Amino acid sequence: MNAGKRKSMVLLIAAIALLLSASLAGCSKPADTQAQKNNTESQTPAEKVVTLSWPRDIGPMNPHVYNPSQLIAQSMIFEPLVNYGAGGKLEPALAESWTISEDGREYTFKIRQGVKFSDGSAFNASIVKKNFDAIMKNVDNHSWLGFISLLEKTEAVDEFTFKLKLKEAYYPTIQELSVVRPVRFLGEAGFPDDGDTSKGVKASIGTGPWMLNDYKTDEYAAFTRNPNYWGEQPKVDKIVIKIIPDGDTRVLAFEKGELDLIYGEGIISLDAYKQLEESGEYETKLSEPVAARQLVLNTANAALAELNVRLALQAGFNKQAMVDGVTSGFEEKADNLLSTNLPYTNISVTPVPYDIEKAKSYLDEAGWKLPEGKTVREKDGKPLELELIYEKAEQIQKPMAETLQSEWAAIGVKLNITGLDLTEQIKRFRANDFDLNFFSNYGSPYDPHSYIHITAEKGFGIAEALANLPMKAQLDQQIHDTLVSTDEKKREELYASILTTLQEQAAIVPISYVKKMVVADKKLGGVEFPANRDANAFSSLQIIE
Amino acid sequence: MGGFIGKRLLAVIPLFFFATLLAFILVHLSPVDPAEAYLVAAHIHPTDEILAQKRHEFGLDQPLPVQYAQFLMKMCRLEFGTSYLSNEPVWEEVAKRIPATLKLAFGSIVLAVLISVPIGFFSALYKNGIVDHTSRLIAFIGASIPQFWLGYLLIFFFSVKLDLLPVQGADTWLHLLLPSLTLAMGLIAIYSRLLRTTVLEQLEEPYVLYARTRGLKERVILGKQVLRLAISPMLTGLGMNMGKLLGGTIIVEEVFSWPGFGRYFIEAIFNRDIPVIQCYVLLSACLFIVCNLIVDLLQMALDPRISRAGGAER
Repeated sequence: MNAGKRKSMVLLIAAIALLLSASLAGCSKPADTQAQKNNTESQTPAEKVVTLSWPRDIGPMNPHVYNPSQLIAQSMIFEPLVNYGAGGKLEPALAESWTISEDGREYTFKIRQGVKFSDGSAFNASIVKKNFDAIMKNVDNHSWLGFISLLEKTEAVDEFTFKLKLKEAYYPTIQELSVVRPVRFLGEAGFPDDGDTSKGVKASIGTGPWMLNDYKTDEYAAFTRNPNYWGEQPKVDKIVIKIIPDGDTRVLAFEKGELDLIYGEGIISLDAYKQLEESGEYETKLSEPVAARQLVLNTANAALAELNVRLALQAGFNKQAMVDGVTSGFEEKADNLLSTNLPYTNISVTPVPYDIEKAKSYLDEAGWKLPEGKTVREKDGKPLELELIYEKAEQIQKPMAETLQSEWAAIGVKLNITGLDLTEQIKRFRANDFDLNFFSNYGSPYDPHSYIHITAEKGFGIAEALANLPMKAQLDQQIHDTLVSTDEKKREELYASILTTLQEQAAIVPISYVKKMVVADKKLGGVEFPANRDANAFSSLQIIE
Repeated sequence: MGGFIGKRLLAVIPLFFFATLLAFILVHLSPVDPAEAYLVAAHIHPTDEILAQKRHEFGLDQPLPVQYAQFLMKMCRLEFGTSYLSNEPVWEEVAKRIPATLKLAFGSIVLAVLISVPIGFFSALYKNGIVDHTSRLIAFIGASIPQFWLGYLLIFFFSVKLDLLPVQGADTWLHLLLPSLTLAMGLIAIYSRLLRTTVLEQLEEPYVLYARTRGLKERVILGKQVLRLAISPMLTGLGMNMGKLLGGTIIVEEVFSWPGFGRYFIEAIFNRDIPVIQCYVLLSACLFIVCNLIVDLLQMALDPRISRAGGAER
């Protein structure tokens, strides 16, 4: 290469570098402008803004889809016909009232009058029907919701009367109408031309208290008040959700003052929560139980098919010490399979106390004896060796698995623990390819009916794990009777019977109650936990002057 | 020179095939069934019928060589499919996030060069002096500190304690500073020491003595000749480290909430979003290949002996 060529090559490289720098500078310009705009907005003295973080981008704001759309944001924009209130009380929302036919198949809703979508269009029975039609176009996607799979017909009787008819009675219908998705309502202008919302919506138009005002993928979403909201207006003007995937960064951003609120389940580490709590500078709060952490013992395993072995395992570990030690008191020891703040679950149970000697005698009675000089019990020459699978990325399951391994070794049970990815754990659970596994119920507003449903319905993992219980067929019948029952009293009795049987059979061991947490700046008031596990808690927030 | 470039471009083809094969094998080695992963991500309860239907739809019921051939055809047409999770075309999702990742990678390279070149150069000139000792300390720290920890330390010190820079976000150049520095530290550690060594080697070369004998100014000798030749191995290192740099962005993007491709990839891994994973592996491989090509060209421009050697082979 001669000198001239070399020179031009160097010039070319310099030009490329310059171009790259210019393009990068160009990239940053709109963002800078945006940041300035945000700053200007947040500096307006009258505007009350609350900033919080969420681990994932809020996704498309479409009421009829699931992942990656985030429930918390969907619940800000879209509303249900029925609201799930404290203690499972079902309250009117977009439906003012409802009646149920005697056979439990026909539901007639009086639609609330005067409700408008955020674009000013009217909310009425025909838009309810249009939303139901969109949902039913993709019925397979939603069949996990019991009443959807039983839906026979929907009808807009008049402007403010909507009727739905089921193929058979299904008592949890009203409760299921309160879930955050998919039965919430999109305004007419948001629908795509073919009406199929599963492929996307034109605009996120809802009736809820908030509207999506500004959004940048993976960075933030800003919600302002919906001026057409029919209920009481929220007390702050704007909610900004910053997307921060890492828990420790979330804590640092909060300490720096970039966030006003940390809210959610397992959203920061237990240590970080304790540290923020102990600093005394912030408001910290734990919710009532939102779910119960459980251990499922697979009765397909010959050893675990014996009640005495299951009881021995339950008596053979110090639950209180394990829960307190592993969760730093962040979770609460559970004696009931389902927390008692759910409907029909407030039953009295006799907990199996921690008693090593009792555990050993249960195993002796079951024929699992400890041979001389050995540490693992045996029966017919086979050692009592079990495998517990756990999700390796979850911060609680692994230390609990290790605790159980060490505790049960003391009663002569060898526990092998296997950490898996969540997908693999679910796969093995569904395939009934495990001895013991961690599980958690869905919480409100899905339970208790979803919980008993999956203990009877195969394909989820639990029903298969309970298959060898001697009264399984009777239990399944009771579950079916509960779900179709129109008699409240009978339902109560059936629930009590089902839950008591499950409890006594000890194939599902309650471990702890999971809770939501809040860490808030002290200037923030009205921090409450919604009764619905998936809903947001932002309408009651206020900034104390 | 044309022949050299042509030869390098031809070498890209087998590398590309190897990358596609690797992406394909990796996905099929995983115990997770892509059809099941799709259904879980889409929140559909996987019954046997739906699973069979999805397997057929994705072509998973075909023999593996047929699946690979179909996959290759799609890759050649730049069809990466639809994300299981978002139901959006993967390419659109990726294209949205790539500029942020490139900005971060470019920022860290600029920082790495701006910091490591003077440090490396002056460490060599003042061997065993204070600059040299300090640079050695920086190199030890930079090479051994885990990126995520360094990221937290920088946030804690510069953002929380000194309140100089934002903790997270990507709005302004200020937001770019800490993540770029985190990513650059490893490179600074390597390149400052590498440059020091090569400058010391170059200083021993006869041409330096001749230049001095000819009465050339020391500044000209060091700046125009020694540094220019000494920087060449550093450029090779930069090209080689591009892939590593992209791997590093995954952690840094996570720690600094940087809205790039790495974070999207992590989400895809957790959700077994296979089309996205394949796209990431392929793009990384392509980027690695292209960066190495660019480095070769740059080296050729800086050291004409390389292209002459290429010409001689011809």
